[in-house]
Amino acid sequence: MKSASHMLTCRALVAGTAAGTVALAAGDASAQRCPAVPPPRTKGPAIWLSYDQHDMDEMYDQSVYAFNQKHTLARSAANNKIAAATIGKSERFAYGPTPIEGVDVWKTKKPNAPVLIYIHGGSWRSGRSFDFALYAEPYINAGAHFVAIDFTNVRDTKGDLFPLVDQCRRAVGFVYRNAARFGGDPERLYLCSRSSGSHLAGCVVTTDWDKMGLPRTILKGAVLGSGMYDLKPVRMSARSKFVAFTDAMEHELSAQRHIDRLHTPLVLCIGTLETPEFQRQSREFADKVRAAGKPVELVVGQHYNHFEVGDTIGHPYQLMGRELIKMMKLSMAA
Amino acid sequence: MQKVKSASATITRRTLVAGAAAGAAALAAGPAEAQRCPPAAPRVKGPPVFRDLDQVDIDEGYDNDVYAFNARNVGERRVYNNRIAQSRLAKPDRFRYGPSEIEHLNVHRTARPKAPVLIFIQGGSWRGGARAQQFATYAEPYVKAGANFVIVDFADVRKTGGDIAPLVDQCRRAVAWTYRNAAAFGGDPERLYLISRSSGSHVASCVLITEWEKQGLPRNILKGAVLGSGMYDLAPVRLSKRSSFVTFTDAMVQELSAIRHVDRIHTPVVIGVGAHETPEFQRQAREFAAALKAAGKPVELIVAPGYNHYETGETIGHPYAVLGRAAMDMMNLNRG
Repeated sequence: MKSASHMLTCRALVAGTAAGTVALAAGDASAQRCPAVPPPRTKGPAIWLSYDQHDMDEMYDQSVYAFNQKHTLARSAANNKIAAATIGKSERFAYGPTPIEGVDVWKTKKPNAPVLIYIHGGSWRSGRSFDFALYAEPYINAGAHFVAIDFTNVRDTKGDLFPLVDQCRRAVGFVYRNAARFGGDPERLYLCSRSSGSHLAGCVVTTDWDKMGLPRTILKGAVLGSGMYDLKPVRMSARSKFVAFTDAMEHELSAQRHIDRLHTPLVLCIGTLETPEFQRQSREFADKVRAAGKPVELVVGQHYNHFEVGDTIGHPYQLMGRELIKMMKLSMAA
Repeated sequence: MQKVKSASATITRRTLVAGAAAGAAALAAGPAEAQRCPPAAPRVKGPPVFRDLDQVDIDEGYDNDVYAFNARNVGERRVYNNRIAQSRLAKPDRFRYGPSEIEHLNVHRTARPKAPVLIFIQGGSWRGGARAQQFATYAEPYVKAGANFVIVDFADVRKTGGDIAPLVDQCRRAVAWTYRNAAAFGGDPERLYLISRSSGSHVASCVLITEWEKQGLPRNILKGAVLGSGMYDLAPVRLSKRSSFVTFTDAMVQELSAIRHVDRIHTPVVIGVGAHETPEFQRQAREFAAALKAAGKPVELIVAPGYNHYETGETIGHPYAVLGRAAMDMMNLNRG
C-alpha cells in the first residue's frame, strides 16, 4: 500500500510539473488551497526545477497549501490544554547554560523505558516544549518517556540555524547521559520531529557523534515528518527573509549531503496534500539514504496536509504515531 | 479539562450570538464560517423561514460540505486509514440482527474477556446504507484498549421511500440484539455504550429515547453515549433541502426529534460538536444539551475548537481527541 500511494503522488506531481501551474493547481497537493485554483498569472523565469520565484515562495509557505492551518493550530492548542491537565506537569532539566536550553520530560510509569525525543517545528521561529503535552500523552501511556527539547529561534540568532542544531545535538547528548536519572533506558533513545524540526532532526541524525564522545548509534530510530533535507531550494524562497543563509550553512546543514554520517534507521513521513517541494524533499532524501544502503522507509500519508501530518504524532493509530509505536515496539493492548 | 471545555463553549456561543445580531457579514468572520472556501458572497437575505434564518441559511445550515472545504479530503483519508486498520485487525464477525438482508452488524472483538461493548451508528445523511466494513479505522483503538466494537448496518433512506423510521427501528433492534447476544462474543451486556456521528447521531438519539421496558429490556440498557455532530430536532431539518430525499411528516418530526422526548432518556450523554460546524449543527447540539440539563439528566457538551463537521467525526478513531477521548473516558478504558 505504501509504495502504491507513493506512486500515485509521483504521478500527480509529474503531471503538474509538465503542464505548468494550472495543472499543478488541480493536483492532489493543491487540494487544500483556497481558492483551489489560484488566479492566472504569467510565469517568471524558472529558478529551481520548473518553478519561478512565485512558485518557490509558495512551496515553502504552508499556509498557501493548507487552508486550515490556523484551525489545526487552534485544535492542537485546545488538545494540549486537555492533555496537560490529564498528565500533569513535565520535569524540566537544563542541558546547557542558557535558559532556553532545557528539556521537558513527561515520564512513563514503566521502569527502564525507551525515550522518545521530540524536536518541534514552526519554521525555526516559534514553538516551545510545553506546547506538546498532547504528543507526550500517548507515549507515556504506552510505556515510553517523552522528552521535548526547547531550543532558540532564528529571530534571536540573527537568522543563524547553527545554534538551533547545536542545541538539539547537545540535548540528545544530555538525554543519553542522564536518561537513567528519570528512569529512561539510554540504549533506547528515539527521535521524532515535524516540519522545520525535521530539518533540525535531519542534522541531528547526521551528527559526528564520535567527536562528542558519544556512540554513533546513540539514536536507535527516528520518525521525521514533513521536513527539509536540502537547504538549497529553501534558500531561494521567501524563507531567506528570516534565515541568513550562507554557503557554509547550506552545505553543513543539508542532511542529504552527509548521509555517510547517518547511523540511525529512518522513517520519513509526508502527506499527499503537502506542497510539491516538501513532498520532493522527503522523497529525495529517502532515495539518497536508500542508495547509500542505509535503512529508510518513506511513508506517504494519503490526504493529509502539512499540519495534519504533524497532528498524527499524537495519534497512535495514524501515520507518524503508528510508525513511532511500531518503531519503539510499544504495545497498545490494555 | 472541564474548564477548557466550558471556556470553548462560551466563546463559540458568544461569537454566534454576535454573528446573528450583526447579520451575515459578522457571521462570516466567526468560526462557523472559517472553513468555507470560497467564503460566502454578500447577498440580500430573504424572508425568515426558521427563527431568523432564510431559505439559503437553512439549506446551507444542513449542508456540511458548504462549511467544510476539505469534506472530500477527510472522507478519502478515512478510506485510506480504514485499509490500514483492516490489515491490522482480525476479520470481524458478522451477525444478523433482523430478517432483512441489510440487518447485520459487524463485531470487532477485543482479546479481553467480558469486556464492554461500544456500538457505532454511522452517519452519511441517512444515505450511508450497508458499509460496516468501512469503519475498522474507528474499531481499532477500542479493540486494543479492551472493548468490543460493534458496527450496525441499516437501511439507506433512499431505499425506504424517504422514511427515517425504519432506520431508527433497525438500530433499536441492533442494540437489543447486542444486549441479548453480547455474552456469546465475549461482551458484557451490562456495559453497552453508544457512539455516533452526524445523521447517525440523530438515529442514536432516537435509540436513546426508546421505551425499552415495552420490549422487556432494562431502561438503562445503554450505560453511556457519545453523540457527535447530530440533529435532535427535525423541524428545521425538514425546512432544508434535506427534504428532497427525506419524506418528512408531522408524525416523523414529532416522534423522531429526541429533544421532544428527553424524559425517556436514561443514559448519560456526551454531546460533541466542532467549533467550525454549521451554525445550525452547533445550535442543535447546544439546545439538546440544554434540554437534557434542564430535565436534570446527566449530559456534557464538548465544543471542540478547530474542528469542522468531518474532522469531529474522524476523532471517533482518536483515543486522545474529542469523541474518541470522551468514549475512552466514558468506558474507563486503559489506552496503552
